[in-house]
Amino acid sequence: MEWEQLDLNPRIIAAVKKVNFRSAKEILCVSGPDLQRLTRLSKTDVQRLLCAVAAAVRKSKPVTALQLIRGECPVLEAGHRLSFACPVLDGLMRGGLPLRGITELAGESSAGKTQFCLQLCLSVQYPQENGGLNSGAVYICTEDSFPIKRLRQLITQQPQLRPDLPPALIRSRHFCDNIYIEHAADLEALRACVSQRVPVLLKRGLVRLLVVDSVAALFRSEFQADEAVQRSRHLLAFSNTLHRLSHEYGAPVVCVNQVTDVVDGPNPGRCDYGLVDSKVLPALGIAWANQVMVRLMLRRLAGQVQSDRRSSAPRKLEVVFAPHLPRASCLCGVWEEGVRGIPDDHSDLQPQGSS
Amino acid sequence: MHRTVPSLPLAPSVKVKLINAGFQLASDLIDMRPLQLCKEAGISQEEAVEVLQMLRDDGQPHQQRAATESLTALDLLHQEQAVGSIVTFCSALDDALGGGVPVGKTTEICGAPGVGKTQLCMQLAVDVQIPVCFGGLGGKALYIDTEGSFLVQRVADMAEAAVQHCTLLAEDTEQRQALEELTVEKILSNLFLVRCHDYVELLAEVYLLPDFLSEHPEVRLVVIDSIAFPFRHDFEDLSQRTRLLNGLAQQLIQLATQHSVAVILTNQMTTRVSNGQSKLVPALGESWGHAATQRLILHWKGLRRLASLYKSPSQMEATIQYQITVQGFRDAPDEPRPTTASSAVSSPSGNHSKRLRMEDLS
Repeated sequence: MEWEQLDLNPRIIAAVKKVNFRSAKEILCVSGPDLQRLTRLSKTDVQRLLCAVAAAVRKSKPVTALQLIRGECPVLEAGHRLSFACPVLDGLMRGGLPLRGITELAGESSAGKTQFCLQLCLSVQYPQENGGLNSGAVYICTEDSFPIKRLRQLITQQPQLRPDLPPALIRSRHFCDNIYIEHAADLEALRACVSQRVPVLLKRGLVRLLVVDSVAALFRSEFQADEAVQRSRHLLAFSNTLHRLSHEYGAPVVCVNQVTDVVDGPNPGRCDYGLVDSKVLPALGIAWANQVMVRLMLRRLAGQVQSDRRSSAPRKLEVVFAPHLPRASCLCGVWEEGVRGIPDDHSDLQPQGSS
Repeated sequence: MHRTVPSLPLAPSVKVKLINAGFQLASDLIDMRPLQLCKEAGISQEEAVEVLQMLRDDGQPHQQRAATESLTALDLLHQEQAVGSIVTFCSALDDALGGGVPVGKTTEICGAPGVGKTQLCMQLAVDVQIPVCFGGLGGKALYIDTEGSFLVQRVADMAEAAVQHCTLLAEDTEQRQALEELTVEKILSNLFLVRCHDYVELLAEVYLLPDFLSEHPEVRLVVIDSIAFPFRHDFEDLSQRTRLLNGLAQQLIQLATQHSVAVILTNQMTTRVSNGQSKLVPALGESWGHAATQRLILHWKGLRRLASLYKSPSQMEATIQYQITVQGFRDAPDEPRPTTASSAVSSPSGNHSKRLRMEDLS
């Protein structure tokens, strides 16, 4: 830290250098009286020093919410979201995924979580005015291998999914070139990927979406039931890295999560987020839930839903919590061209029960 | 002026130089000019100016100083009633808190993810701006966001709903006049946002708060959402964390009283296992429980959202139900509305100004 750059009396700067402080963090973490004792400066001098160091650490001055909503601070509030490529799903999410923060998609196996993620990897590559971010995606697989055949099928079917876009625009995208696939077999590989390789891609602007499919697999398998504290620590470090990357580069992070069964009744030691009727809850406990900004749950329902004489098992996408969304849900189906939400008035559904 | 130089509140190095130059009593120094003192004692001009300034301030007669520093309890009671509190638009919670979130104190809001902590903070940031003639404070708000969960779209919705609420309540000309100026844009322009990405930035922001509050004296609310997030990872030395948190708590309480603001801190929940049973407790450790003046815990009970006042120096422990609607933080639908008789009893502070109540709408 260059102490000369601070707007301070040279006497104070000399005292700071004599004590061998190396960074602003060291000064801010010492209390006022301790600083007085170490530097032998008076109370007012120490106050001035702390204010000058704090002003140097502060990245930007306070802005008003009016400036944010007018789009004058794109770093804090981008003003647009990452679209799901379906108007019904975008309506549920009030525009799509927020650009900063971790969005979690939890559900049982074969609920359709990977389908959502693949669709987002394609949607991100369109220009901003079409709901994308004009950039690629990183897809980190921890469970199964990447479903490349399904991705190819989705790419060929893009014109069916996005009839609102001109075909020339769709043809001009080199979808496969912009999706970077990583396989992480253990926690160490995952950590290395997220802290070394992903930042390089983000910095170069090659990607602006990060998908982790799934976050639960490695954390549940590598820790025993009684190692909850260590698991928490690794989980927090991992989510902190994701959080930092997401905020620095304005890249949405989507984490797929598994679910655990609820075997006993309501338990005061476990938070169920108001999901009373559910027999499953997202995995990884409250330590992970505290890091997530938007939590979505995907449930596969019984019955069938029709569209153009094709049928699919219906899914229910529910917003469990989000700072800007009410508790709402919508039905969707998984078709050849991707996931599409079913508007409320379109009840082609046959009677079904919830899972 | 019989004070000796060693007893003066100066830096030790300065005192040594003054004594070595031959100054023994404060009265020796009082008639000196800064340049003279500078040359004779060998201290810098800055230090000389400070010494003389300090002596001049010290010169007030002791009784006068004592009178300005001490207050009777009656004075304090009047002061507390005068500063008021910030309504939450959930009348059950306002009653439990004795009128609303108190100005001049720190309140901690704990809860599991998704239960409504950020919603309550955003609601308060809008409610602090309600004009005085409607029973509000007409103040501004500073929102320190550490998690990135402040989404301005939601605040705009809440501001819209608050303006509509006031429109329905407006009775006399004073209120209607105030209503003309109360627009969503004005509410958003009085809400300041700072984003801190780690605990060092948060510490820096709190050190800069006194200057900010002096520059913006209309600010009546400071929200830190959340204080737990930056302190819960990569802290190998937990004792340092406790020290930093205690320092922060002290600074915030000082700010709350000196600048007459309400400080709200949000905290997360963590699981604690004791005797083979696990339960959810507020994060950041046991000692943090003593940091805030009041503690409010939001939790789920089945489908209902409940708020429990766990710690308060002036109010009884209570649990009330609330809900989060499109308009924001509100009373739960089937909660019986408190009658005016019982409300007069439960708010002994006797806030007679018009208060926003949901039943005024009917």
